[in-house]
Amino acid sequence: MRGRANAGLVAGGALVGLVVLTAVASFFWTPHDPTLVDAARKLREPGGGYLLGADKFGRDTFSQLMVGARTTLYVGVVAVGIAAALGVPLGVIAGMTPRGWLSELIMRVNDLVFAFPALLLAVMLGAVYGAGTLTAMIAIGVATVPAFARVARAATLQVMVTDYVLAARAAGRRRPAIAVRHVLPNIGSMLIVQASVSFAIAILAEAALSFLGFGTRPPTPSWGRMLQESQELLFSTPRLALWPGLAIALAVLGFNLLGDGLRDHLDPKLRRVEER
Amino acid sequence: MRRIGIWIAVGGLLLGTAACGGGDGGGSAPKAQSLSVGFVAEPANLDFTSTEGAAIPQALLVNVYEGLVKLDQEGRIVPLLAEKWEISDDRKTYTFTLRDNVTFSSGAPFTADDVVFSLDRVKSDWKLKIKSQLDVVDKVEKKDDTTAVVTLKQPSNGFLYSMTTRLGAMFSRTGVSDLANKPVGTGPYVLGSWRRGDSVQLDANPSYWGTKPPLSSITLKYFKDATAMNNALLTGGIDVISSVQAPESLQQFADPNRFEVIEGTTNGEVVLSMNNARPPFDDKKVRQAVRHAIDHKALLDTAWAGRGGLIGSMVPPTDPWYEDRTGDYPYDPAKAKQLLGGRTYNVKMRIPNLPYAVSSAQVVKSQLAQVGITAEIEPLEFPARWLDQVFTKGDYDLSIINHVEPRDMGIFADESYYFGYNNPEFGELLASADRGTEQEQSDDLKQAAKLLSEDAAADWLFLFPNLIVAKKGVTGLPKNAISESFDFTALAKQ
Repeated sequence: MRGRANAGLVAGGALVGLVVLTAVASFFWTPHDPTLVDAARKLREPGGGYLLGADKFGRDTFSQLMVGARTTLYVGVVAVGIAAALGVPLGVIAGMTPRGWLSELIMRVNDLVFAFPALLLAVMLGAVYGAGTLTAMIAIGVATVPAFARVARAATLQVMVTDYVLAARAAGRRRPAIAVRHVLPNIGSMLIVQASVSFAIAILAEAALSFLGFGTRPPTPSWGRMLQESQELLFSTPRLALWPGLAIALAVLGFNLLGDGLRDHLDPKLRRVEER
Repeated sequence: MRRIGIWIAVGGLLLGTAACGGGDGGGSAPKAQSLSVGFVAEPANLDFTSTEGAAIPQALLVNVYEGLVKLDQEGRIVPLLAEKWEISDDRKTYTFTLRDNVTFSSGAPFTADDVVFSLDRVKSDWKLKIKSQLDVVDKVEKKDDTTAVVTLKQPSNGFLYSMTTRLGAMFSRTGVSDLANKPVGTGPYVLGSWRRGDSVQLDANPSYWGTKPPLSSITLKYFKDATAMNNALLTGGIDVISSVQAPESLQQFADPNRFEVIEGTTNGEVVLSMNNARPPFDDKKVRQAVRHAIDHKALLDTAWAGRGGLIGSMVPPTDPWYEDRTGDYPYDPAKAKQLLGGRTYNVKMRIPNLPYAVSSAQVVKSQLAQVGITAEIEPLEFPARWLDQVFTKGDYDLSIINHVEPRDMGIFADESYYFGYNNPEFGELLASADRGTEQEQSDDLKQAAKLLSEDAAADWLFLFPNLIVAKKGVTGLPKNAISESFDFTALAKQ
């Protein structure tokens, strides 16, 4: 059990590390200007300084992929950040007052948002406020709030019945203090796992939105839009769709493996089973 | 959770290959004497007298409804329901001699009474903006059953041309009760069935007055997605793609034993609009700099696969007064920089989220950046949001749109139009062109097009091509899309 979890963790960590490194590197160096249109380089074959060739605008595919990694991470971090910043406090409050009206209200509104597909919300926001990376991030973030709230609430419920929390309450500690001191540190591991999985979903959502024209604005490189732009060339120049498709698949796979690995690694119950 | 993870990962790959699927498998193999044609936009209903939108006349005009005259493939006005017409010396009276063997699909005979009825009805019942084109008509009278006389308020060169559009369509006095669902015309085809959201079927009109159409039926199939339409042709779901929206994909149809690619011309000028009403493009020098900064040949080659033509003003080559104005502003970044005098600008390029606009915008942005103009691209949902923000409110610096209406140079004469272009001399040239003789009209319009170009009222990126792909053996397709209709009359299958 332990060995398998580690294998996933290592593979996931490696893939995520690769994406992060590429994104960071793109700030300092790309082989070519990723948005420079040059008719003379149209659909240039790979090689000679153009590692993966050029697209129909003569833009270097490799440079685009590098900068696209930046877009991907940017969307993931902000969307997951929004979801965690809103979802975790709501979930903890709901978990600490399990029979109160506030808890009931939070969780029912949660169900409401949960029932609304994230992509639909993003397309709607895009149509009303204008398509762009920011609207996409907000929409993906808001749609992910319920996932965080549910995980936080379930974990909080478990923590609230432990002896140390009962002792703290008996000692007259106020609820906010208990939340910060006892609850948050103990539900942290589950939240990290949730964040990692949500990250993967956010990456895919951004790609889908850019594919549909509601995500990152052109010409800023984005893996999803690279796919969309290569659609009409799928039969003649399939490599243009292959590379961004592969990048999305690997990034998503990486974050999922990382999330699974972390869960196996951090989950106290699983750990206890192994120790016995 | 592990399983979910894998599926999400697979999703990323699927997204990459989504173009492979999505083909419409619904079309059954066409019968020997029928054809199926793929279109992009479905009509909202079938009544082009009250509903805007190019899809309705595209399907019905000339095919189901006919006018007294029609536009041929070279842009000439030729007889249809009128055998001939005479124009009086003061150019205010048009006497149309009608064919006497014409009946509507309802069985009612077509006479001069129907001409009076149809043209009067434009004024009384039509709800479209373009009906103002017939404001010049003073009265319509019946002389006898086969002679109709139209009197104009003043001479107009545009009148007969307007009669080739949907405005000139002839309706039966007894056939206008349910135009939205039951069109009644004199054309070679009648409405067979309409499966909303999917297709319209036209059947041959057995009592047609002219040459009977070679096919027994034509199905117009509607696709929202360009790739889905391509796949439908590849898999045999349709026989013809009426308009290719992804020109790079044409390589799929390169096999001459299976497909034929027809490239013709349209009235569609893809315009890089510049907001003449506010800085920085209220300054003629900045506008001129933009025109010099864009390499139009490179733009066409990259953004639209080199299909289409280059134009330098608001007149397509199929109009009689066309002059080649592409030399007015040759590609010259140094000249552009000199015109800008070292100044740099940040501008908003608010474009419709249509394939040609998004592609062209990226090239324009890259080329403007070379001379010091930074354009931020913002794609807006088309039509609703783009029409509201850019077209109606004029909140933009640059935009890109294909102006498809025939002979539409006049839109620059309207200062409230979203270009914000204001040059009284231009308006005078257009007014004098409509009043004058044919020669004067041509001279004035040439002059007007030259003025537009020199003023750099906008930049003309390219002339939109008419790209049709058909299965081998399909004949009689209209090469040029220069009228409002997609003419099926000669369509046949060998």
